Amino acid sequence: MMNQKKELALKICGPAGSGVMQLGEVLSLALNKAGFYTLAYPEYPSVIRGGDNNIQIVISPNANLSPRKEIDILFALDETLLDAHRDEVKKDGFIFDGQTLGLDELGAVKENPIVKNTVAAGFIWKTLSQDLDILLAAIKESMDEKYVDLNLKAAQSGYNLESAKRLDLTSTKQNIFGATANEVFAKAIVKANCKYASIYPITPINSLLNFLSQTEIKMVTPEDEIFAVLSTIGASYAGVRSVTATSGAGFSLMSEAVGFSSMAEIPLVVILGQRSGPSSGMPTYTGQTDLNFAINPGHGEFEKIVLAPGDLKEAMSLSQEAFNMADKYQVPVIVLTDKYLSESRFSTSENLDKINIEIDRGRKYENDSDYRRYKLTKDGISPRAFPGETTFATNSYEHDEAGFAVDDIKTRNLMLEKRNRKLQKLSGGFEVFGNKGSDTILVGWGSTKNNILEYLKDNNKIKYIHVWQPWPFSDDLKNELLKAKKTIVIENNSSGQMANLIECNIGLKTEKILKDDGRPFFKEELAKLIDEKL
Amino acid sequence: MTNILDTGKTPTWCPGCGAFSVSAALKKSITQLNLEPKDVVICYDIGCSGNMSNILNVCAVETLHGRSVPVAVGIKSVRADLAVIAQAGDGGMLSEGLNHFVHAIQRDDNITLILNNNYVFGLTAGQKSSATPKGVKARAQQDTNKVEPISAVNIAVATGCRFIARIPSDNIKLLQETIERAIQFNGFALIEIIQPCKIWAKTFPQTEFVYLDEPMQNATELLDKENLAGLLYLKN
Repeated sequence: MMNQKKELALKICGPAGSGVMQLGEVLSLALNKAGFYTLAYPEYPSVIRGGDNNIQIVISPNANLSPRKEIDILFALDETLLDAHRDEVKKDGFIFDGQTLGLDELGAVKENPIVKNTVAAGFIWKTLSQDLDILLAAIKESMDEKYVDLNLKAAQSGYNLESAKRLDLTSTKQNIFGATANEVFAKAIVKANCKYASIYPITPINSLLNFLSQTEIKMVTPEDEIFAVLSTIGASYAGVRSVTATSGAGFSLMSEAVGFSSMAEIPLVVILGQRSGPSSGMPTYTGQTDLNFAINPGHGEFEKIVLAPGDLKEAMSLSQEAFNMADKYQVPVIVLTDKYLSESRFSTSENLDKINIEIDRGRKYENDSDYRRYKLTKDGISPRAFPGETTFATNSYEHDEAGFAVDDIKTRNLMLEKRNRKLQKLSGGFEVFGNKGSDTILVGWGSTKNNILEYLKDNNKIKYIHVWQPWPFSDDLKNELLKAKKTIVIENNSSGQMANLIECNIGLKTEKILKDDGRPFFKEELAKLIDEKL
Repeated sequence: MTNILDTGKTPTWCPGCGAFSVSAALKKSITQLNLEPKDVVICYDIGCSGNMSNILNVCAVETLHGRSVPVAVGIKSVRADLAVIAQAGDGGMLSEGLNHFVHAIQRDDNITLILNNNYVFGLTAGQKSSATPKGVKARAQQDTNKVEPISAVNIAVATGCRFIARIPSDNIKLLQETIERAIQFNGFALIEIIQPCKIWAKTFPQTEFVYLDEPMQNATELLDKENLAGLLYLKN
């Protein structure tokens, strides 16, 4: 029986350690090679063995995908997990499990039980009626050389199993590129000529560490996030581009240093991966709950830039831009991501490797006589020297132009005003989609971008503003928002942090669509919530 | 004639403070090593001794309390050409930032640590720090100090530090020579400078120091010997 399907959602589950995530990765890669857009959204508990690891793969000829509440195929590597997900399967959907298929009895699995996931990949590939060679190529590309033969054999034996239920999908026939945002961040960091990364491991930025470890960047895995951020600041002061990354929990420890970066005017780039809080919360689940925190990361009032990429393309461009902004304005730049964006595997037809943002190191010392590190200028930006070029002082205390500590009223006010001038001209920071003439607008920021774009595909009458630079909150954004009669803000948090930012900044009353249960918005769910507000 | 290592700013220390001789020794060492001020970075802690940032004309970085070491390590990691010194007080290094002290030694980060130990929190006016001697009553405390002080040298020995020195601040000559050796040393070098606060620690018991002629062969012999001074241990 061949079922024609335009697109479908597949979910694979198994205990931690059974290779569910790798299975999802190989299948996504193979599907991209076969010309499909995919979104692979993983869920897993904070354990190394046992529990319920699952990955949902949405397969479609269309871009901009979001996870589905209802799935077409459920594949349980371990039948004990079937009950946890049975209710999610559509009425006409398929359910498979490793035991019923007798995977453990297959020669390849008997020989080496770790390849059970690849056997499953072969079987699923057969069910999707795809060309085996493409799957084998994906295995060769993604697996460690010494395990390739073993896995090729396993995939073959899974493919040889009879699948009574077969599907026929429509491919784009294009080259599709898939990646997690963490993988793209790592590439962008290298492109930005960043040479130093000091990062304490924490979900959801752990895979960024894996990717960076394959580069030439000098990497440190230090004692804590305080060392991580301060050594990053140290490297930056010394003249080298540097980066740290963390989640909200680690960013809490970094807050004093973020203020130091701003006060001492040392460029700093922090990738902040939000996850479900507060406190230890649900650390392997997602959320957009640290916008307020990124905007107000420490004591005192200081300048900073907050960026919120929403997809792979923005992860590539904005994180390169973050280094330029940090250098140009000599401020901390916080790049917000979250578990959903950082760990889900998204896809695009664009070649992201071609996105190269020209490097701008900002205003530099040029053998100036009477050099003063914090020279008062019209736009507040002082030329930056590096140690070894000249002698100069750098200070976390309030200081004069030369960098010496002061506390007199006149200098305090001059220096405060100088720092405040730096970001005043930052404009834009958002992109408009959908029907630009509509006076009903949806507003989102960061990782909700694909979800809202997918909604727009079926509902093209309204306008959508994706905010990629939540701070500084630009006048352009203000003016764009003021055009609306009805503003609906969509966020993965429970208080409406962006909605409140809009209300505080321009006094515009908004309606809120909020969700803070650790999961991203599902397609059906978001459509229903938006339709109810219209 | 003005020394190029002077900023011309007036020090803010109390009369008789050990920080005066430490800054004098630092200047002398930098001069002796023919280092240009632009090639010397000193990362300062927040505290009395840290206020040296205003008077010593090098690339000074006034950091955060307890955090001079992380900043210094970040700098040295990417700029091996610079002489990088971290300064810290006992409050900054043995209370607030002790973890960085231990881990910088574990990694053998190539910096010099000048640890100004005045036995109290000086800048906040005399509260007890982790280095305050047992049995003394520090300012603004309800009782005498009931716990043994944390010894920087003990921790340095236990974590494998290869350059360990303890020098009273009044021995400027030895201090100067030791700072020179520390800057030239390839690895983490600890110089604990004993400079009991002239205001808040003046009633504390005084230590009679015994100078070592040669560094100990075996670092563990330094454990709990708080009266030993000089370059105590060196392993190249």
